[in-house]
Amino acid sequence: MSRRMSKTGRDRLETAIYATISVVSVLVFWHVFSVHMLKNEFILPSPMQVIGGLERLTLGYLGGNLLYHTGSSLLIVITGYLIGLGIGIPLGIMMAWHEPVNRIIGPVVAVLRPIPTPAWIPLAILWFGIGMSGKVFVIILSAMVPCIFNSFTAIRETPRELLDAARTMGAGKRTLLFEVAIPSGLPTIVAGMRIALGNAWATIVAAELVAASAGLGFLILAGYRNFEAPVMAAGIISIAIVGLIMNFAFQWFESRITPWRESEER
Amino acid sequence: MSGSFFTLSRFALVFAAWLFGWWAITWVLNVNPTFLPPPTTVFERLATMATVSMGDGTLIVHILGSLKRFATGFALAVIIGIPLGFAMGYFKPINKLVTPIFEAIRPIPPIAWAPFAILWFGLNVGAQAFVILLAAMPPIIINAQLAIRMTDGRLIDAARVFGAGPLRVLAEVALPSSIPLVFTGLRIGVANGWMALIAAELVAGDGSSTGLGYLILQGQRTLNADLSIAAMIVIGVIGALLDVSLNRLNRYFQGWTAQT
Amino acid sequence: MAMEQDTGNDLSFQNLGMVYEARTGSVAALDGFSFDVRANEFITIVGPSGCGKSTLLQVTSGLQAPTSGKALLNGRSITGPSPDKAMVFQSFSLFPWKPVKQNIEFGLRVSGMSRAERDELVDYYIGVTGLTGFENHYPRQLSGGMQQRVAIARALAMRPRVLLMDEPFAALDAMNRTLMQEELVRIWSEHKPTVLFITHSVEEAVYMADKVLVMTKRPGRLKCTIDINAEIGCAHWRTQPIDEVLLVPKFQELRHRVWEEVRAEIEVNA
Repeated sequence: MSRRMSKTGRDRLETAIYATISVVSVLVFWHVFSVHMLKNEFILPSPMQVIGGLERLTLGYLGGNLLYHTGSSLLIVITGYLIGLGIGIPLGIMMAWHEPVNRIIGPVVAVLRPIPTPAWIPLAILWFGIGMSGKVFVIILSAMVPCIFNSFTAIRETPRELLDAARTMGAGKRTLLFEVAIPSGLPTIVAGMRIALGNAWATIVAAELVAASAGLGFLILAGYRNFEAPVMAAGIISIAIVGLIMNFAFQWFESRITPWRESEER
Repeated sequence: MSGSFFTLSRFALVFAAWLFGWWAITWVLNVNPTFLPPPTTVFERLATMATVSMGDGTLIVHILGSLKRFATGFALAVIIGIPLGFAMGYFKPINKLVTPIFEAIRPIPPIAWAPFAILWFGLNVGAQAFVILLAAMPPIIINAQLAIRMTDGRLIDAARVFGAGPLRVLAEVALPSSIPLVFTGLRIGVANGWMALIAAELVAGDGSSTGLGYLILQGQRTLNADLSIAAMIVIGVIGALLDVSLNRLNRYFQGWTAQT
Repeated sequence: MAMEQDTGNDLSFQNLGMVYEARTGSVAALDGFSFDVRANEFITIVGPSGCGKSTLLQVTSGLQAPTSGKALLNGRSITGPSPDKAMVFQSFSLFPWKPVKQNIEFGLRVSGMSRAERDELVDYYIGVTGLTGFENHYPRQLSGGMQQRVAIARALAMRPRVLLMDEPFAALDAMNRTLMQEELVRIWSEHKPTVLFITHSVEEAVYMADKVLVMTKRPGRLKCTIDINAEIGCAHWRTQPIDEVLLVPKFQELRHRVWEEVRAEIEVNA
């Protein structure tokens, strides 16, 4: 037992050492390349210049500080995401549970699914203008499609035996849906929500790069237009950090909502 | 056989009903066609697109332009991603060196790199190919790595019992048995890359007059929603065709490995 | 918690037939199956694979309607699933998202029983099946044997009139299987619901049953019935440990007889 412990401990130490080596060497290489070889701040700013860019953003850049722009992006993403979930999950479940709903909605979903969400951005601008509502519309689409698809699959793939078992114990149709099919499909539904979150985040960045007056994507574009590469890089880093935080938040949510799956790995 | 024909015709019928609903709304409410054209206008546009030149040419020019960018980015993703994934799967130190960088870059949506990509590789093909590369590569790397690591231990043991060394095990056991998973990675990569292409054409397409993304944008700029919608339909159809054909190929590969 | 002590026939199968429509044509799974089960009887059913044993249970549980003939419970035609016919599945069929206690409680809650009553029953069956201390474990945290105990407790908690078991121990290893066979007899004898028990193990069938039914190959008909109780003539051996019963000459003889009947069916098939 203790030997196994020390082995995983050593493994963890090794991983940490390798990670440090790789991150440090990338930073050193980046620094040397940009400062001593390329010498063009506009094309590739050095790590220190990027930190300077982050500093500039926190102090305020084009209408507000970093928090303002992050908040602007997040507000749109969360609004659209929640609406997309609110429509997509029930719709997918109903399509799987009631065949008539599937027959009516199915063809439309099948035809719309292969169209990448960013392709809707120009149309959204045409319909709603470049303000918030157009972006929310696109985010809704980006989140809705994977939710419909995964919820549908989740319900359709409920193990038949579980339904049978519940029926032999006297469960009616409602109980079968809410207490068997939905909980049984929950991991798949949650996986759809995870894909939806990634899509929504990628889509908002794309939408803000096309047309916006605030937001993290807008910061990158503004940096590009104003020849301020450090600001661009700082914008990208902010996007990465927010994305990482969202991932962790989602993992936490996932472990809370499907606790029985964690025990699988123990 | 007749069953699938039945479902297909029902599908078509329901879809036609939806199209009729769309048409009825634009007609009854007298919707401004720059805002939402009736489906008939969109179909007319689809028909004329093939012959009428817009921007750099007719529809086929735009399709080929988009496909060229996609192919460039995707080919690079395969050339870099598969060897890198294999190396990460087979050599632990490489895995431990690359993973931290990989994980740090992954939460950044590929399209966020577009402005830098323009600075580094020039507007249009270069920048767009780079964005597609970034979008398509992660699933390819992950699956290639997973495929090597999930090689059936019993097969490796069997090969070693017969005296195979590490390189021979890699070449004759790990690589062949990894093909189905690698292919799955390629499929996801195609889907991601196709999605990124459209975003890249919208963001990094300034100055270019070629590509399906350009057509969508052009429809919006000239207040021709029918052009945007027609281009979206073309994008959807090509995306669906890519998906279906890869699915077919996938089935072939799965069957191929089941025999070994 | 006493079962009503019925006499006479509990379950009655009258000329039962089941034909499945498949792409390659129709397949008859059951054909003219007739049999009467008395209340509190422990019936085991053996027969070659695909002989319609599972179909018989599906029909009895009400999950499937027969294409011909009738299945009656207490004189009334079975029209659908109901809590008086509980089922234990080969793959356990526990709800993976519910801890042990909630799994057992499910049927009681669905049928609208009050919380206090539910708690009492669930606690009782958790005790009887030896699950005390595992109430809050998820099924995946339990071994196969423990999972099947949960499934049995879940079925028994319904206090069913009929307990249907579809190869319940097939997924267990040989040692656990032996233990569970003895356990099941002990648990069953507390309230003695009528049992239909499908198995591929002749030994298991002869050890536990009041009557062993042997079925023919597809389409499944009743080939013969071996009345173990009548054959033994005195106290049933199922209250004793299996390894001792294995040494009883009468047991060996009956096991041999049942096996000869089954073997004939399998060899006809080949």
